[in-house]
Amino acid sequence: MKIAMRNLVKNSTFTLLNVLGLSVAFGVAILLGMAAFSELSHNQFHKDADTIYQVYMTNQSPNGPGIGTAKPIPFAPALKSEVPGIANITRALSEDVLVTFEDKEFNFDAEFVDDDFFSIFTFPVVKGDAQKPLQHKNAVAITEGSAKVLFGSTDAIGKTISIHIGGTETPYTISSILKNTPDQSSIDFGIIIPFENHPEYLEKVDAWGSSNHPVYLQLEKGISVAQFEQSTVDFTKLHYSGSIESVIRDGALPDANGQYKQLHLLPYTDVYFTSFVDGVAKVSRAFPYMILGIGFLILFIACANFINMSIASSEKRLKEIGMRKTLGAVRGQLFTQFWFESLFVFLASVLLGVVLSTLLLDRFKTLFNTQVTFSDVTTPTILIGFAISVICITLIAGGYPALLLSKLGTLQALKGKMVSKGRNKVRNALIVIQFGIAIVLISSTLVLQGQLQYMRNIDLGYNKEQVISIPLNGKMNSYRMVELLRNELQSDPNILSVTGADNNLGRGLDGSAYTSVLGFDYKERGVSTNMLVVDHDYLKTLDIELVSGRGFNRDFKSDSLSLVINETMAKELNEPDPLSVRINMDSINYAVVGVVKDYNFQGLNQKIKPITFFMNKDWDLYYAYVKVAPIAISESFETIKMAWQKIDPNATFQGSFLDENLDRTFRREKVMAQIITSGSIVGIVLSCIGLFAISLLVVAQRTKEIGIRKVVGASVTTITVLLTKDFLKLVGIAFIVATPISWLIMRDWLQDYAFHVSLNIWFFVGAGLLACLIALLTIGGRTVRAASANPVKSLRTE
Amino acid sequence: MLLELKNIFKWVSSGGQRVFLLKDINLQIAEGEFISIMGPSGSGKSTLLNVIGMLDGFDEGEYDFLHESVHTLKEKHRAILYKEYIGFVFQAYHLIDELTVYENLEMPLLYKKLKSSERKSMVADMLDRFNIVGKKDLFPPQLSGGQQQLVGVARALIGSPKLILADEPTGNLNSKQGEEIMEIFKQLNEEDGVTIIQVTHSEKNAAYGSRIINLLDGRKIEG
Repeated sequence: MKIAMRNLVKNSTFTLLNVLGLSVAFGVAILLGMAAFSELSHNQFHKDADTIYQVYMTNQSPNGPGIGTAKPIPFAPALKSEVPGIANITRALSEDVLVTFEDKEFNFDAEFVDDDFFSIFTFPVVKGDAQKPLQHKNAVAITEGSAKVLFGSTDAIGKTISIHIGGTETPYTISSILKNTPDQSSIDFGIIIPFENHPEYLEKVDAWGSSNHPVYLQLEKGISVAQFEQSTVDFTKLHYSGSIESVIRDGALPDANGQYKQLHLLPYTDVYFTSFVDGVAKVSRAFPYMILGIGFLILFIACANFINMSIASSEKRLKEIGMRKTLGAVRGQLFTQFWFESLFVFLASVLLGVVLSTLLLDRFKTLFNTQVTFSDVTTPTILIGFAISVICITLIAGGYPALLLSKLGTLQALKGKMVSKGRNKVRNALIVIQFGIAIVLISSTLVLQGQLQYMRNIDLGYNKEQVISIPLNGKMNSYRMVELLRNELQSDPNILSVTGADNNLGRGLDGSAYTSVLGFDYKERGVSTNMLVVDHDYLKTLDIELVSGRGFNRDFKSDSLSLVINETMAKELNEPDPLSVRINMDSINYAVVGVVKDYNFQGLNQKIKPITFFMNKDWDLYYAYVKVAPIAISESFETIKMAWQKIDPNATFQGSFLDENLDRTFRREKVMAQIITSGSIVGIVLSCIGLFAISLLVVAQRTKEIGIRKVVGASVTTITVLLTKDFLKLVGIAFIVATPISWLIMRDWLQDYAFHVSLNIWFFVGAGLLACLIALLTIGGRTVRAASANPVKSLRTE
Repeated sequence: MLLELKNIFKWVSSGGQRVFLLKDINLQIAEGEFISIMGPSGSGKSTLLNVIGMLDGFDEGEYDFLHESVHTLKEKHRAILYKEYIGFVFQAYHLIDELTVYENLEMPLLYKKLKSSERKSMVADMLDRFNIVGKKDLFPPQLSGGQQQLVGVARALIGSPKLILADEPTGNLNSKQGEEIMEIFKQLNEEDGVTIIQVTHSEKNAAYGSRIINLLDGRKIEG
């Protein structure tokens, strides 16, 4: 033990480099691991998480299969009564509501649910009846957070609040207080309201055609998912007979089981990771595993450093090994001694790493936008896993050099010469892998940043720099609000125009996003389109280009029966003159009056879909849009805010520029880019520490050779080239190995985006050059110094 | 005249005091001479040899080599001069263990930027001349000391230098091997007219030379 310490102190440069590298790696790996596990633990906190399912339906359509998770209001009760095997089932409709208490208005995220909601999910009750948190139809449950906002304390049982739903205000009694929803919950709410109180409930209690909420259920014991799905076939045929007939008429092909619509169950723990692409529910945990992978890669780089450095620096200790052997030490003893040294370094690094990660946790959270805490991940399983992996890593990384050294023959060691070439191969392989990893990370960084840049700069087809969107969250009628806003701002020369619509572009400060899709029959054919209710001046405000016809106009009184469509929709209708199209929906005849150029109203990961603008004062607007002049933008923003507060002092102003909204939709990409960028920086720095140490040792080993070469006439340049060449060769091999790998990964990733940068060879060449350059800088100084040293000194060895 | 040293001083400063390695060395060496430098350990023999070989600088004095004043030449020019005219032989051979005999011999030529075919024929000549053709693919550690030194001499000669500097070339060899090397030197000196300066401890080896220079504490002792 004492000897181990002494040795570590003696080789302080290397010990320091090792501990530094390893503790940074451990720290980063711990942070990344935490982020990954917290990501993976989404929705796992429910007591019976493994038995909860979300219902979704695959629909065969003429354009191929599709998936719907939204269900109509009568669906859940009918399913429960007609299909056996359901233990609990609940509807869960999420919507923003306006809550008033003593003249104060608050916006809350409400969840309209059935009683079973609390049997299925684990949202613990703090105060009130734990068995039945919703006592009666006019009882609500709120979270502690909402209670604090409303009343300043959680002492709220029995208090009455009024909730503004669908134009009417109703009083509700608070019957229980719940814990705040955890960050790892997909269902996130401030208030829970019995489902029957939803404004559309009475109107649509038997309407199978309008779907607006997900349904969750638990099966009875002994019923398998496949059994259940099979037993819903008749149910589906009965209740969806109308739409099944129309898709058959339109030429849709049935699925493998001959069904046109089929209910499926998605495990609730998968919900967070599921995307529905082309009619398949794709569960992908790639993101957290990628984070975890980066953590491991970084750890690997640091361990490779450790192995390389211990082996290389052991050359100096060959004499010691030889001496010990002649004095009678056996292999086991030597192994233990060397392994102890490694163990010391590793333990110190792990401790430092833990300290480091604790210190960096706050910065990490803000940087990567995660809410991860230590308590999230300090579950026994993870801790034991962590301990085991640390032991394994120490055993391998510390044990390998120890094994190698203790294996040496006595005489060989005493002579102080290591002849075996195999070790250099291990060293080179490790360096190649390190740099390969670094190159993969760097090129991914470049591609990711390129894609982000591309998404920010792409012409979306509308003006995102000059337009502010404001969620209409007040009590006032939305058309009136927009009108008042328009009048108020009219006199300001910097405000160019004001309009409204029922959907946002990008993601606003209210955080909500939704799509409304409408299907109708046109010439015996089912057509579906996104729909958007707009106010006057929508095209003008957003600078959406008109291709033909006209936009909605105040001079045309009948515009509530007019439609404006986009080019994709025009294509979908397949008419030579789209302006001649008449469409009959719900026995109302609409006429297409204009076609606008396609613009990206959804995310860039989706192709532009058909969209139809409606102009109907009976349908509410949810967002106001204001276009400002390009000068004095921030002043204009303030003007709008003042106007807003003047018109409706009770409503919160949540206006934001569309480019900010757009940026918010890139959250995931940005986090990913940041993690990979930081990962690649840490990775390359660690690789360079290793390379630096190796170059020190190699130069030390080759001093004599350098001397000889100089004596026979080599110049500083030729020697530098000679020494650098070997390392650059390794980086070159790493480049060749890494490029195809990272090409494949990146191609795969970019395929998720309908609009993406083309995968250019320069991304990879750039990464390779960067790695080369960094490697050169790392070893260059040392090498040049060694090359310019006076050969007389290096040769005067005797 | 091949080279001339005039009032050469070389010192190192230690604790504010100058410790002289070479003191006021004056030396003229004509082409075709065979000179032995002798003296006890630490008398400055090797330092003098290194100065002559331009591996080491000096602090005062003048050094003319083939009528060029070395002390005023630029590093680059000096390197060309050195590459062209001087070959070194060391006591410890200083061959590169990782390279074969052939590659070791070829190395100086690489730095002279000769064509591959020329290099091949020159190396072949040299191998032939020293009777080591059969050993060209072996690595230095596989050879005996005498053979290694043979390769060392061959390497020094391959650039056909005018001057060979040998720092105790036989120091690590047994007497028979040493004699062989000295015979080669003598032959080179007499038949090819190569100037040789050797540092040696042995009177016997010194006797091969045409002139002996004795050093003591960095000073030349006339005698």
